[in-house]
Amino acid sequence: MKHLRSFFSFTAPLIIMLVTFCIYLIVNKVVHNYKDKITNDYSIIMVSNTPFSKIDEVSGIKIRDIKILKKDKIIEDIRNELSDSSLDLLNKKLPYFYQIYLEEFPTTLKLEEIRKELITISNVKRVETFTSDHNKVYSLLILIQDIIIILFVITLLLSILLISKQIKIWFFEQSERISIIQLHGGSLLYSSKPIIKIMVTSSVTSIIFVSILLFLTINNISLFVRPEILMLIPKITDLEFDILKIMLLAISIPMVTFLGLAIQHKVNS
Amino acid sequence: MILATNITLTYDNKKNIIENGNFHIHEKEFVFISGSSGSGKSTLLKSLYGELKAKTGHLFVNKIDLTKKDPLKLLKLRKNLGIVFQDYKLIKDYTVEENILLPLKLHNYDDKVSNNQVKNLLNHVQLTHKAKAYPDELSGGEQQRVSMARALAHNPALILADEPTGNLDEYSASVIWKLLRDANKLLGITVVVVTHTIPKDFLLKYRRFNIDDGVIYEAS
Repeated sequence: MKHLRSFFSFTAPLIIMLVTFCIYLIVNKVVHNYKDKITNDYSIIMVSNTPFSKIDEVSGIKIRDIKILKKDKIIEDIRNELSDSSLDLLNKKLPYFYQIYLEEFPTTLKLEEIRKELITISNVKRVETFTSDHNKVYSLLILIQDIIIILFVITLLLSILLISKQIKIWFFEQSERISIIQLHGGSLLYSSKPIIKIMVTSSVTSIIFVSILLFLTINNISLFVRPEILMLIPKITDLEFDILKIMLLAISIPMVTFLGLAIQHKVNS
Repeated sequence: MILATNITLTYDNKKNIIENGNFHIHEKEFVFISGSSGSGKSTLLKSLYGELKAKTGHLFVNKIDLTKKDPLKLLKLRKNLGIVFQDYKLIKDYTVEENILLPLKLHNYDDKVSNNQVKNLLNHVQLTHKAKAYPDELSGGEQQRVSMARALAHNPALILADEPTGNLDEYSASVIWKLLRDANKLLGITVVVVTHTIPKDFLLKYRRFNIDDGVIYEAS
């Protein structure tokens, strides 16, 4: 019973930390995928008096593609309302319209910077960024992502605190054994073998538990998310990589905490 | 084997427990360190296995200078020591067998060699029937015999014993004295025993250092 209690005292904070990390991973994926989706759809319209010969002319901005909007298409809609001579004149006087696709979806601030940058180019008359269209959902997702990061950091700190407390208890329980082994020339790591063993067992248990939980959540995401939101979320893949991250976190946090406390124990003794 | 020159021992730089101690213990010697309670016998022994660093002077044990801070050399020294304590210092969740195996494991002995060695030692200390028992299931005398077996397991060059018979009845104490004498006589191990009760038949045979008021001197 005592062993079980100390096992859970160590495993529970680790699992809570890993679950928060999973939520962070999922939200990150959703935001990232949504970013890709809106970046593909999103473009800036730029109006210029002269044609551009190269994309490089728009310096400092990561551009995926620039498409020129054909004048014929623009004139097509008003052709019937104008005389031939007016159409000719319009054709000559109409500026060049460009549709600029960016490599990544910018924040509102970045978008304003891009707009200012573009407007400084000579002969550019106007730049339309259509900021409000995409920013509402995107900002909400960014807000959720930030909240999750803060939540994860808080959980991480609390977990480290609880984990270190449990490791300290184990050091205290094993202090006699540790000192006997050290008297016989055993290193601190060797004499702390039982602590390392229970830590590894707890970490592996946590990894298995959280990986199953993550797998089940991803495959049954419709149970947790409303259908209208679900439509916005592309399919989440690359779970293997996420499980690897979980494994790294589940092993590194207890190990680093243990090493810190082991050094402290050595200094104190 | 052990050379101390002008060593001063103290806890937390308070009162000096040993002052300017000088002594030399040769290889394969059997030596007693005696003195009244609180005279600093155990403190001196602590310095011999590196638990307490001398404030001044030089202390060489098995050619390792213990006045220098070198954790790796200290581990090396301890691996080649056999230590016996008054309170046995057996690991409670290890069986008798596992306790004796400890120094062999620390030396990475082969399993087969280790098991044979443990078998021989259990036979030597007459505890073969208690191999699977835990320390709490043994009497004080038996626990000290396990402690002796552990100290002998890896054929150390030096055995340090701190009041090895302090908690034992007369019979159990005589068994431990015999084991210590055999270790020295038959195996050529240097033995340093801290005690305030030296058996009569040992008294005239071996050298004895006495500690009185922080001063170490060889008693005649």
